[in-house]
Amino acid sequence: MDTLSLMGSGFLQALTPLNLLMMALSTAVGVTIGCLPGLSAAMGVALLLPVTFGMDPATGLIILGGIYCGAIFGGSISAILIHTPGTPASAATAIEGYQMTLRGEAAKALTVACFASFCGGLLSCVSLYFFAPPLAQLAMKFKSPEYFWLSLFGLTIIAGVSSKSMLKGLMSGVLGLLISTVGMDPMEGVPRFMFGQSSLYNGVDVTCALIGLFSMSQILILAEKKIQPRPQAAKFKTKFELSGKEVKRLSPTIIRSWIIGNIIGILPGAGASIACFIGYNEARRFSKRKDEFGKGSIEGVAGSEAANNAVTGGSLIPMLTLGIPGESVTAVLMGGLIIHGLQPGPELFSTYAGMTYTFFAGFVLVQFFMLFIGMLGCKGFAQISRLSDAILIPSIFLLCVVGSYAIHNNVVEVVIMMIFGVIGFLVRKFDMNATAIVLGMILGPIGERGLRRSLMLSDGDPSILFSTPLCWLLIALCVLGVLSPLLMDRMERKMREKAHTA
Amino acid sequence: MKKLFALLAFALIATPLAAQAWEPTGDVTVIVAYKAGSGTDTGARVLASEAEKNIGKTLVINNLPGADGKIGWTQLINSKPDGQTIGFINLPTFTSLATKPDATFSIEDIVPIANHLTETGVVVVPANSPWQTIQDLVNAAKEKPDYKASTNGVEASNHIAAQLLAKSGGFDYKAIPYGGTADQLLALRQGEVDFSCAKVADVLPLVGGEKPELRVLGVFAEERVPEFPNVPTLKESGLYDKWYGSARGLVAPKGTPPEVIDFYVQAFKKTMEDPANIEAHKKAGLNMNFMDNQQFAKLIQEQDAFAKEVANDLFK
Repeated sequence: MDTLSLMGSGFLQALTPLNLLMMALSTAVGVTIGCLPGLSAAMGVALLLPVTFGMDPATGLIILGGIYCGAIFGGSISAILIHTPGTPASAATAIEGYQMTLRGEAAKALTVACFASFCGGLLSCVSLYFFAPPLAQLAMKFKSPEYFWLSLFGLTIIAGVSSKSMLKGLMSGVLGLLISTVGMDPMEGVPRFMFGQSSLYNGVDVTCALIGLFSMSQILILAEKKIQPRPQAAKFKTKFELSGKEVKRLSPTIIRSWIIGNIIGILPGAGASIACFIGYNEARRFSKRKDEFGKGSIEGVAGSEAANNAVTGGSLIPMLTLGIPGESVTAVLMGGLIIHGLQPGPELFSTYAGMTYTFFAGFVLVQFFMLFIGMLGCKGFAQISRLSDAILIPSIFLLCVVGSYAIHNNVVEVVIMMIFGVIGFLVRKFDMNATAIVLGMILGPIGERGLRRSLMLSDGDPSILFSTPLCWLLIALCVLGVLSPLLMDRMERKMREKAHTA
Repeated sequence: MKKLFALLAFALIATPLAAQAWEPTGDVTVIVAYKAGSGTDTGARVLASEAEKNIGKTLVINNLPGADGKIGWTQLINSKPDGQTIGFINLPTFTSLATKPDATFSIEDIVPIANHLTETGVVVVPANSPWQTIQDLVNAAKEKPDYKASTNGVEASNHIAAQLLAKSGGFDYKAIPYGGTADQLLALRQGEVDFSCAKVADVLPLVGGEKPELRVLGVFAEERVPEFPNVPTLKESGLYDKWYGSARGLVAPKGTPPEVIDFYVQAFKKTMEDPANIEAHKKAGLNMNFMDNQQFAKLIQEQDAFAKEVANDLFK
């Protein structure tokens, strides 16, 4: 089947009543999670992942996509109304958004955020459709040596996600690699570090570890503090309007932020939290009304929100085609894929193309749900953003336990989840990086198999690792991967400074 | 009218058994030792959904994956033998695990009910390989002992097959383990290895069409298989002379009363002969091969002997 008919049938499959209902629900849940300060998009996806186990893979993935997009937008609601970004991705939105709230224009700020998120998300689907299939074609050419380099390239992402302290990031990554060696040795069939636990035969389950690292640890962090009421959300009239003139004024900003967000999404290591600052800053640089910035500029809100939502579609590309997640949310999504028996890689675009294109179509449709839910439900979500930790903590705990049990109906996994909860808590206390641990766990086996299989094929001659042009391309990417986060980090810091001083 | 007939038919079959008739009292748990969505699981679900009308109760699939089946099967043999819990076993994996020194179960711990599916092993090469026949492969490998074969894991089913071929052909080769059958065949298609052993259903989509990617050189059977009528068996070529492949069937824990086993044998026999079910299996690409409890017991015995005598020596 050619791409066009696959696209069409994807939409037909995605438009079933069940799928539509799930899109609406998951987007609403995503927005809720997003606007709750302290709950990130990665955590939301990890928590809701077990709910999708029994479902059709496409429906399950659409739900996860809905939560992802919803949460990234949802963060802007609390950023605008209570000056507390619900997720780090909306940190830049708070700058202009809250100023608008103070001026009594909360409704307008929310409308702009919602509209920009919608455009950013929708446009990011374009690149998903265009870039994912050719990249998957390329992945067909990957043999064992290439997979080794690919995983190494993925590991350079650690340098990126850990821009606070590269040393601690690398320590986290090594911890992940070590954990990934637990279980059966892939080449010799010898048990490693299993301590007689037969449930560890297939290694530590990544999803289980994810729930522990991202969700369980958050409970511990929340429980550590005294529970205090959140600030009152600003009152506002539910009047959402955006004139044609304003849309016209915003469109260059939105398009610029789309491109920025998309590229950042595809690049490993940088996620929505960086995109929002760059998007915001570029919006100001090119604005004709620079004086409005800092006092509540709609362009500032749009620049940040379009960029962070444009990351979503882009970030799916390397995960789906190469099995290399660029940041924490896609790492969790990848866990979801694997649980549904789908291995990321070229097969998703050949054998499972039907499912993949249904997911893509669902991803497009989710953007529309986000627009409607965002426009109609802002007032309600404003109240949710004040939900007390006294309710949040037990609810998340319940979901963590049920979720980790549901993966394999195995109590041992609940224990593993708890252990990773404590690890996650300590990791945050020591400023290490949970995402780097997950990347180590995912990429470790890919790299190990790639390297050992290559050497087995070549009778131990390492020159096989440098034998094809693709190998050299990947080596070049590794070098770039190590250097780019350093540059990115400098850029982000500069922009943050500018944003604050302006 | 149809319903009436069904009732009548049911009554006729049920009457002679009435004296010792047993029926499940509630939902029946079916243990599947692999994860939801895996090959084993898909096959089990197709059969279970068709079998419900003959069993009269809901069949609940309970996936207990991990340790290549060990976890689920250990649970299965430790279940209450009251007929409310049955399960699927995979051959040769079950028997080869059962003969390992650290085995948590043996073939005495289960009571066979019926075989469900069988898959015959095949030898495949890339379509552009110079080897046209199995003899070409054996002759070439005898001269140069470092041709490479991809397998689906260390001592996994397809590794055993490659080993059987090499031993019977009197050649050496290098087995490279890949995670599963899909990866194993991808490596063959990419030309990373020279040949591979897999199962009929795995290679079927890759050998047909205008541009076949693989070529089948031989099958591990005593008679030619209907899917490849032109491909000689290894026995014909003077190589390994028995059937080798995989099978999946239903068993109950040891101690399950004979009337319960009888009930299930009849129920699954009826299900597997049902045209609707045959159609459903065809659609899913599953090669159904019903064997009653005695035939299946024989297969398990044979596989056990194979695991003890042949397989353990294969890797020495």
